[in-house]
Amino acid sequence: MSLLKPFSKLPGLNTANILLVENEEQFQQKLADTVVLQEKTVNVNVRLARSLPLPMENEESRPRIDLVVFIIHLTSELSFQSAETSLKYLDPGYFQGKVCFLVTSARNVSVPPERLVSVRTLAASLHCPLLCAEDQTTEGVTTAARRLLAILKVAAGLVPMATGLYLSTLTRCTVPSDIDQQNFE
Amino acid sequence: MESLDILENLASNLETMALNGFQATTVDNGQKDSSPAEMLRMKEQMSNQCFEMAVKLQAGKSKRSSCSASDAEKDLLDYANTLEEAKIIHFNKTLALHRMQVWHAISEKLKRSDPEAVAMRGLTSCSLDLCSKIKTLQQESCELQNQITDVKKQRLDLKRLTHEKMKEMDELKRKREHPEAEKYRNVLQKGQSHLEKYQKMATITQNVLRGIIIASQVNWRDDPKLRDISMTLEDIPI
Repeated sequence: MSLLKPFSKLPGLNTANILLVENEEQFQQKLADTVVLQEKTVNVNVRLARSLPLPMENEESRPRIDLVVFIIHLTSELSFQSAETSLKYLDPGYFQGKVCFLVTSARNVSVPPERLVSVRTLAASLHCPLLCAEDQTTEGVTTAARRLLAILKVAAGLVPMATGLYLSTLTRCTVPSDIDQQNFE
Repeated sequence: MESLDILENLASNLETMALNGFQATTVDNGQKDSSPAEMLRMKEQMSNQCFEMAVKLQAGKSKRSSCSASDAEKDLLDYANTLEEAKIIHFNKTLALHRMQVWHAISEKLKRSDPEAVAMRGLTSCSLDLCSKIKTLQQESCELQNQITDVKKQRLDLKRLTHEKMKEMDELKRKREHPEAEKYRNVLQKGQSHLEKYQKMATITQNVLRGIIIASQVNWRDDPKLRDISMTLEDIPI
């Protein structure tokens, strides 16, 4: 079992590495470009993957991954399932503030609402933040990139007085109880 | 988001200015400088990362042999709560510390005799005057408020009393009508029936008289008494 471990390698100086995992491989590229453009003071390396486990060939050359982002498109069920299976290949040490879920097309009318609810329950059970992003406009991509960068900097230890674990109590996803859901409807 | 960027720039500028005594060179974006500000930042980052790894090692050492998921959840909530409380206490203490530092700086400044200190002393005396004025005004407004509430209470009492009096009056009126109305009604009915009877008798008698005068073919216009009588015969409908 090739688990991805958070602390098995030494961190680079003033560097942060982010891994974007997406089954469809369409939003990754745009997001990666924007993330690299946004950040000026820190070296940000973005690695893209379709799913975990990562191939064994670059095991040695791969740097330490500070933040793993699962991009889930709500329009396809496959996206969610692939993300769920990839979760098994992550070391439990990642779930203390080094994993983030990014969801697109949450406002889409054709999306069944149960999918978002299941993603939310998954994120809540793992105590990870859940971000919603708008992938069609450049502004949406920029906003998503900025938010990811904020979480990345904390996860990589580049923000003094804050670590991923410290922040995870603030950013964790919560699931509204059934009562709230009914009032909403 | 732009304001956050501005704040970030300001913070980095402050960093460089704080180390002005060490002849810090300007920092270009993207270049790796060995200016003291940068080195301090690197040091902070490395200590943060080491701290993270130390925490991880600590957690790895104290592994519990058997723990179920539900127990772990409950414990997690408790630990998170204690953590939050510790964070809050720490933050409050930092705030208090900052307050004390600011106050100390202000008091030190006030003791000296720069033009700035003179201005500050003037300001403090002004603010003291204003505070005493505010206090007196607040007391006055409090008293006025109390007076207003008293007057309102009195008004409400009076209203209530008037309501009660009106209710009593209504009841008395109703009570008085009832027994008197009974006798009144009976007497009225009797009187009315009498009146009708006599009216009928009068009509009939008048008609009979009219008939007699016409049938007897008497010239009633010549006799003054007969003329008076026949002129006063009204035509009363039955």
